[in-house]
Amino acid sequence: MFRHTPLRVAALALLAVAGIGYAFGASYFGLEILTEIAILAILVLALDMVAGFGGMVSLAHGALAGVGAYGYAMLQAQAGVAPPIALLGAIGLTGALAWAIGAVCARSHGIYFIMATLAFGQMAYSYIFETPVFGGDDGLGGISRLDLSVLGLDLMDSRNFALFCLAMVALAYAACAFVLRSGLGRSLSGVHESEQRMRALGLTVWRVKAHVFGLSGMIAGLSGALAAQHIMYVSPGLLSWTVSGEALVVVILGGLGTLVGPLVGAAFFVVLKHEVGAITPYWHLVTGLVLIAVVMSRANGIFGALEAWVGRRRAARQPQPLAKEVPGNA
Amino acid sequence: MTTITKAALAGLATTFCVETASAEQIDVGLLLPFSGVYAALGNDIEAGFRLGLDTFGAETDATFEVIAEDTEVKPPVALAKARKLMLQDNVDVMVGIVSSGVLGAVRDMVDGAGVPLIVANAGNDEATGVDCSPYITRISFSNGQVNRPMGTWLAGQGVEKVYTLAPDYAAGRQMIGGFVETFEAAGGEIVGQEFTPFQQTQDFGPYLAQAKASGADAVYVFYAGGEAISFVKQYDSFGLKGELPLYGSGFLTSPLYVAAEGPAAEGVIAAGHYVPTIDNEANAAFVQAFEAENDRLPSEFAVHGYDAARALIEATATGAADRESLAQALREVSFGGPRGQLSIDPATNNIVQPIHVYETVAGEDGLTQKVLATLPAEADPANGCEMN
Amino acid sequence: MTHDAGFWVLQALNALQLSMLLFLLSVGLTVIFGLMHFVNLAHGALYALGAYVAASVAGAWGGFWVGLIVAPIAVAAMGVVLYGGLIRRMRRSGPMAQVLVTFGLIFALLDLTRIIWGDVALASDVPALLEGQVRLLGVDYPAYRLFVIGLGLAVLAVLAFVLGRTQIGAMIRAGVDNDAMAACLGIDVERLFFVVFCVGCALAGLAGAVAAPLLSVTPDMGLQILIPVLIVIVIGGLGSLKGAIAGALIYGVVQTFGAVLAPQLSSVLIYALLALVLVTRPTGLFPAKG
Repeated sequence: MFRHTPLRVAALALLAVAGIGYAFGASYFGLEILTEIAILAILVLALDMVAGFGGMVSLAHGALAGVGAYGYAMLQAQAGVAPPIALLGAIGLTGALAWAIGAVCARSHGIYFIMATLAFGQMAYSYIFETPVFGGDDGLGGISRLDLSVLGLDLMDSRNFALFCLAMVALAYAACAFVLRSGLGRSLSGVHESEQRMRALGLTVWRVKAHVFGLSGMIAGLSGALAAQHIMYVSPGLLSWTVSGEALVVVILGGLGTLVGPLVGAAFFVVLKHEVGAITPYWHLVTGLVLIAVVMSRANGIFGALEAWVGRRRAARQPQPLAKEVPGNA
Repeated sequence: MTTITKAALAGLATTFCVETASAEQIDVGLLLPFSGVYAALGNDIEAGFRLGLDTFGAETDATFEVIAEDTEVKPPVALAKARKLMLQDNVDVMVGIVSSGVLGAVRDMVDGAGVPLIVANAGNDEATGVDCSPYITRISFSNGQVNRPMGTWLAGQGVEKVYTLAPDYAAGRQMIGGFVETFEAAGGEIVGQEFTPFQQTQDFGPYLAQAKASGADAVYVFYAGGEAISFVKQYDSFGLKGELPLYGSGFLTSPLYVAAEGPAAEGVIAAGHYVPTIDNEANAAFVQAFEAENDRLPSEFAVHGYDAARALIEATATGAADRESLAQALREVSFGGPRGQLSIDPATNNIVQPIHVYETVAGEDGLTQKVLATLPAEADPANGCEMN
Repeated sequence: MTHDAGFWVLQALNALQLSMLLFLLSVGLTVIFGLMHFVNLAHGALYALGAYVAASVAGAWGGFWVGLIVAPIAVAAMGVVLYGGLIRRMRRSGPMAQVLVTFGLIFALLDLTRIIWGDVALASDVPALLEGQVRLLGVDYPAYRLFVIGLGLAVLAVLAFVLGRTQIGAMIRAGVDNDAMAACLGIDVERLFFVVFCVGCALAGLAGAVAAPLLSVTPDMGLQILIPVLIVIVIGGLGSLKGAIAGALIYGVVQTFGAVLAPQLSSVLIYALLALVLVTRPTGLFPAKG
């Protein structure tokens, strides 16, 4: 089950301070990067919730975020619905779709689960790519951002939008933590450890999985709807399976099943990509090698390694045995 | 990728006439894919653009600073990079854009901010149609433009029934649409049409069997990049070229891929806006300079970059130096280049250029292009474009 | 449009040809999974490497056949390096970590091919011996495609024989069934893993060499084939030869006839089928283990 250790609270506080501080100090392009990190962070929170705590390693989350983006674009730009309602609509739509995918895939495990989610993600991709109303390969434009002028905020301003996205990360994090600590989240942990045991206890396993997958999908949908507002344009590439693959990489890079880790991973990944990309067009090579190095180190990602190190230090100082954190069945 | 190159191109000219007014520096943002599926195209356009600056730089007092950014062929990435170029680097003009999706993504931003953009590839008809903008000038081609003259020409060759194939995305449909429109108007008949899943089709065998069974006299296709290579090779392997001649949009046997297609490309007839064998002085000079620098023949993509640089230089030579005046001056450029006489249509800001029908034939060292006909330049219909 | 019998024969051969190409790729992947319990996502990248090596060798030393032999050896050598450097050390790390290491390998190998061979597609021609068409069952079919079908069937026959009738085959089957038990019986499981991994890599290289004259040799060819191959092994059921051939045939038939009969649905069809199989048979049609 998810716990807020002092280390996690400290890391969260540090991330929040760094994010907000950077938002006020950054140049224009820095704000773009910050927004990109925030949007990716929301997506990987959603993915960590299912993969890290439920063992449901999904390759559909990129597509789910894409559905959220298209949902917002269609409602707001095509149907003319007010942005806040379009945002809620997109989140609801993605959640419903994710629930259905979760329900159907609930019986599959391991690689089969990964492939089943991939299949549904690809179906969504193909459907959107080939249906003319979605603009095909050329995508859809003319998307507006939320209007927060009642609060005196102009979201067309990059700084305001970056801060707004950071606030959304905080909201998504709170939602994930809330779900994981709720009865549903506890059931999910139980299912992750032993489905048979939970079934014997009278739990409907597929329903638990579907509910969590649906909630996770809503968060992914939020990420997508924010991406649509950020770029003010949607294209089928948003639903590509490589987006899901990258999100998974970020979760593992940060630390599976820690919620805080993926946030660190998102920041690390985006900054690495831009820094290396500024030097060479072969940034994939560097990212690939970093990924291999992190996994080879056998730590549970960057944050997992930090937790393990702090854990060892503490164990060295106080000799009594500590309850070992279960680092998600990676 | 951010390579900053100071091209002090006024160079020699200014050392001899030092009293010329202080030369303007023009900051150019180059927005191209250097990774992803279109990396080869991005590299060719950049090579052509830099060659163009070197060749014609002396014709203007302005100097150019080029900042290149990699779009990765992803609209979100491209938009972030475009914003960086416009808002942080404060470029005076942007050049590039390979995929129509990327162009669609940056269109509103460019139009709103009033930064002139020279489109050096993306061909979607809307960009100089419904979505046209006084700030967007296209120096490459439009999808319909390349294919429209071919319909009339092919019907004139006595071909009556045609089967068409193209990838299932906007460009594929527009390219084929342009051909079908004029081919049918000239009395031709389309006996079958198929659109194949874009970038997911490995085996064209099933479609080729259908084309064969359709009773057509010829096949007309649009494919580009890896798909073009697979398609041309597989078409040849079925032995269809003899009974069912293959025609297509010029990209099918572009100099960029024709080496990989090998003998399979021999005898394919395509309509394009550029091939390296066009017979004029400007082209001879361009081909020689490009080959000397890059050790390969220039493709239509390289010429987009080269002409974009030329257009930019022409515009600055009129004295334009800021975003507003550059945008205005770019709409009025006109010159004779490797492709022949080019001008910009003031109604849509799209290029007006001749189209060359060429056959891929075996030459002394490898495959070469034999120009069969040069079809006169026609301006695209306005397609709902209203310049404001 | 009405079609004669020849048309359907042609399409059936097309389906078979695509199936055999995918079979060459998926069989290595699925047996590696059966033994070692992880999916080598870099299998597609190894296939691309094979295609590049074959095309370069054929171009430089004249001859498709030299390329066809060198490519599997070169990719198997790459397999030795990968096994010694990465895979062996990852043996105890669990399948997720192994999948991620191979995901990192995709990135790294993709850019390595771009650095070595550039972004422009490589030339690769059909060998002179296999040019032209052959008349078969009343249709003219490309000789090279028949060669691909024949090669696929030959590899299938050899693998079926080795796995079913030889001692090493028995050891592999034992390892797939229960590797701990196999080790107790005195089988050197580590060595078995190594051999199977290298053979799987060689088959990926062979598939690349075979695909080079058929498709375009571009840096992203590995990424493009990966998803079809994964679909094949998951539909078929992981770890079994029977599953690989069944999955490949299903994929080939659905893609080919889908393109003819329901072109609007053709790209969704195969994913819908995959979803259907996984919902009804969550471990594929012929899994190695129950």
